[in-house]
Amino acid sequence: MPFSHVRLNRVARDGAARYRRDGGVVRALFLMFALVFAGWAHAELPVPEGIVPPEGEYEGKDVPQPIEFPHDIHAKINKINCMYCHTYARRSKVAGIPPTSKCMGCHKIIATDKPRIQKLTEYWEKGESPRWKKVHDVPDYVHFTHEKHLKRFVFDKGLPVENVDQVCGLCHGDIKQGTVAKKAKPLTMGFCRRCHEANGGPGDCWKCHK
Amino acid sequence: MSDFKIDRRGFLKALGWTGAGTALAGCDLPTTVTLEEGAEEVVSYRLPKEYAIPGVAVWYATTCTQCAAGCGLHGRVREGRVLKLEGNPESPVNAGRTCMMGQAGLQNHYNPDRITRPMQREGGRLVPISWDDALALLKGKVGKGGEIPAGKTVWFTGQVSGHQAVLIDEHLKRLGGGRHYAYELVSEGVWQKVCEDLLGDPQPTLDFRAARLVVSFGADFLGASPSPVHFAKEFAAFRHQPGDRGVLVVAEPKMTLTGASADLWLSPKPGTEGALALGVAHVLVKRGWNVVDVPAELRRLLDRFDPRTVSEITGVAGHRIQRVAFLLHEKEGAGLVVAGAGLGSHKKAYEAAAAAMLLNILVGNVGKTIKPGTPFPEPALAPRRGTTRALLEFAEDIEAGKVQAAFIYGTNPVFTAPGYLKMKERLASVPFKVVLTQFKDETAMEADLVLPLHSYLEDWGTHVPPVAERPALSIQQQVMKPLYGETRGFGDVLLALLKDLDEGTFGAFPDYYAYLRTAMENAPAEVKGGVSGWDEMLQKGVLLAKAGPAAGLKPKLVAPQVMPEEEEEEAGSRPFHLIPSPRLGMWDGRHANLPWIQEAPDQIAKVVWGSWAELHPHTAKELGVKNGDYVRIESDHGAIETQVYVHNGINKEAVAVPLGQGHEAYGRYAKGRGVNPLRILAPATDEKTGELALYATRVSVRKLDRSEKLIKMGGSETQAGRKLVATISADVYRRTEGEV
Repeated sequence: MPFSHVRLNRVARDGAARYRRDGGVVRALFLMFALVFAGWAHAELPVPEGIVPPEGEYEGKDVPQPIEFPHDIHAKINKINCMYCHTYARRSKVAGIPPTSKCMGCHKIIATDKPRIQKLTEYWEKGESPRWKKVHDVPDYVHFTHEKHLKRFVFDKGLPVENVDQVCGLCHGDIKQGTVAKKAKPLTMGFCRRCHEANGGPGDCWKCHK
Repeated sequence: MSDFKIDRRGFLKALGWTGAGTALAGCDLPTTVTLEEGAEEVVSYRLPKEYAIPGVAVWYATTCTQCAAGCGLHGRVREGRVLKLEGNPESPVNAGRTCMMGQAGLQNHYNPDRITRPMQREGGRLVPISWDDALALLKGKVGKGGEIPAGKTVWFTGQVSGHQAVLIDEHLKRLGGGRHYAYELVSEGVWQKVCEDLLGDPQPTLDFRAARLVVSFGADFLGASPSPVHFAKEFAAFRHQPGDRGVLVVAEPKMTLTGASADLWLSPKPGTEGALALGVAHVLVKRGWNVVDVPAELRRLLDRFDPRTVSEITGVAGHRIQRVAFLLHEKEGAGLVVAGAGLGSHKKAYEAAAAAMLLNILVGNVGKTIKPGTPFPEPALAPRRGTTRALLEFAEDIEAGKVQAAFIYGTNPVFTAPGYLKMKERLASVPFKVVLTQFKDETAMEADLVLPLHSYLEDWGTHVPPVAERPALSIQQQVMKPLYGETRGFGDVLLALLKDLDEGTFGAFPDYYAYLRTAMENAPAEVKGGVSGWDEMLQKGVLLAKAGPAAGLKPKLVAPQVMPEEEEEEAGSRPFHLIPSPRLGMWDGRHANLPWIQEAPDQIAKVVWGSWAELHPHTAKELGVKNGDYVRIESDHGAIETQVYVHNGINKEAVAVPLGQGHEAYGRYAKGRGVNPLRILAPATDEKTGELALYATRVSVRKLDRSEKLIKMGGSETQAGRKLVATISADVYRRTEGEV
């Protein structure tokens, strides 16, 4: 059991060292409350009904990208749906970085005076795509598929597509608040497994480690 | 533990932490791997087609060209990159399966040693040039009004078929009619000639499914030419007939993949296989088990091959000879005797194969397990079967001054030709050599002009497999866009050469794809096999054709003269027979530049990434060698030094060195690794067919001072009496456990 190694040693009145008889529960309690409170402090995205969210937070690195893409302008202010750009989430293992043509669909006209848009247009005209850095990455031996997770938590539950950010946010955090993506959840195996257990997902090793 | 009123478990549960969940604390330890953020790039498409979904694979049908079998393939492509090859279930050659060579095709395609620019010989070295310059050079030599006189240009290739073969013919026609040599070191020229002479059909159908007994004289049908995956499938069907597992007898000088599956494995002295076959025939006729009349001449011949005599000649025990004869009799009409390249007699390979075919005729297998062939309906597309004779004729023709220009494709004669032919020097005397290839192999290094080709996964073509369940035309389709900007398709190069000579006929086609598509859309119905459009042809990948007319089989009894005329010179200083053995994987050395093939352990010796010399334990004891000791193997034409591997699966008078290693060029994985036994071969050919007698070289074997650990998979080769793997004969199993 966790924390069972914790002992509060006391020197008793007779001079002998004795363990405090609570087995460290007080310390455990304190830590748990702290964690729960921390969890609350982060919980801005509501969790859809019937989903037990995965536990664990993570302070990600600031990963510089070729263009500092502002998720806040697109997803928060303009309320563009996650899947408008990350189209393939519902039909493939990768959610996909949108093709440059999708960006240019709007930015041929919108905000063309802004430096970031001009940089994007430069890529488009040279016939290239920006070389984005992958922020949410799992090791090559892990087979994660977006399609199955969206099916389970969005489409099979009949969650309205406008609220898909609540499901995306379970693993990606509330990306709308920032510019470029930054890891907000650990994406460790424990993170995945706890959610699988709580929500009835597969527990076979070979489902993910084929 | 604690005598608090609330127990820990209940308390934790109240906070929503279940027992199992908390136990996973270890899985939350971040590692350097899971902490990868911003380490990899993810580049989006720029303007993709609507149906292009990253992460979802698309499959394309094509044809494998790693050997001449022509298996159908499905290539799995993600984001425009081919990632995996599988068999095409529609192909009547391999029915959805691949072998290791097929799988390793990916490494042929992504190999870092691919040539990416044309190269020209200048001052003894190959220097990169542009395609424009290369084509201009070609035009000057073999274009309209080119330097090279009519009829003096030849094509020297591996086995080819389909429209590529057609265009080679067209090219030679317009150049005054030089020859197209089709050469394969691993081939069955002798067996084909025997079938032609004794049955009237050079390529009869061998029906493994109708057979209950297969006797192979040196035919490694599971591990070598002509179609290993096809025969593996046929052999599996042979084994799985209800209630009858079938019997496989193999006679060969050293154990092959086929021999490893044998129920009875015989190892006659190399070169005496013919005598063994006649010994079996002797027993058949003596017992009256023949179902056809035996002419007097043959009867007199067979009288000389009684079991005792044959036992002395071959080293095979008399009772085994009797057993094979008995099996042929017991499975009368359901036996199948085949002979192959492992029938390595000196000058009598043909006679030995004829003796093997004789057995089929004697017990009435012809018409039952050996059936008429099913030729491809369009002879122009049929395979130009590779032989070893073609190499020898090419070498002779060079010497006779008949070759002023040579186009070399799909073959590496400087590596595979026996050393005594001095192929490098011979080629140097040919004024203009063009090598079309992906790699700087030994032959490319001798070229005057090197033209870099697409890999087969980047190219178009058609192929007619030499052996299949039914005649077929297998389509080779570009599975991904070419990796390099300056390689070209083989068909495209041919078309460019032809356009220069005959703009009228070939000018209409912008590229080989256009030529092929036109040809296929206008193909006769017998070829198309009911498939209507080009798209459907590409989806299926294989067209099931209707067989062309074939003559019935007319078996002819002959009296094969299997014994050498002159008394064999005393073994004396060269007591052993050298067996340069081909195997599935390396083949003739063409796959030595693929790490997966180097890594795959040899099926018998389990050695990886190197060469070895197989010796029988008795021989090893005589020589005082053990696994890993170095030996010097010397013939009258040279010597090689390599490590010993001792095992029972080799004749006591033989030493087997695998083909494939000992490259002196061919890239980082192949170069400078192991030894090439072909270097020291003696000039021996079969008297009747002129095919190379590859196993006829006599050598001495001498222990050297060096010894190193032999790098091989697997540990001990004995169970040390511990019955880790229990064995039981099929008979006993059938009696005690029921059906096998």
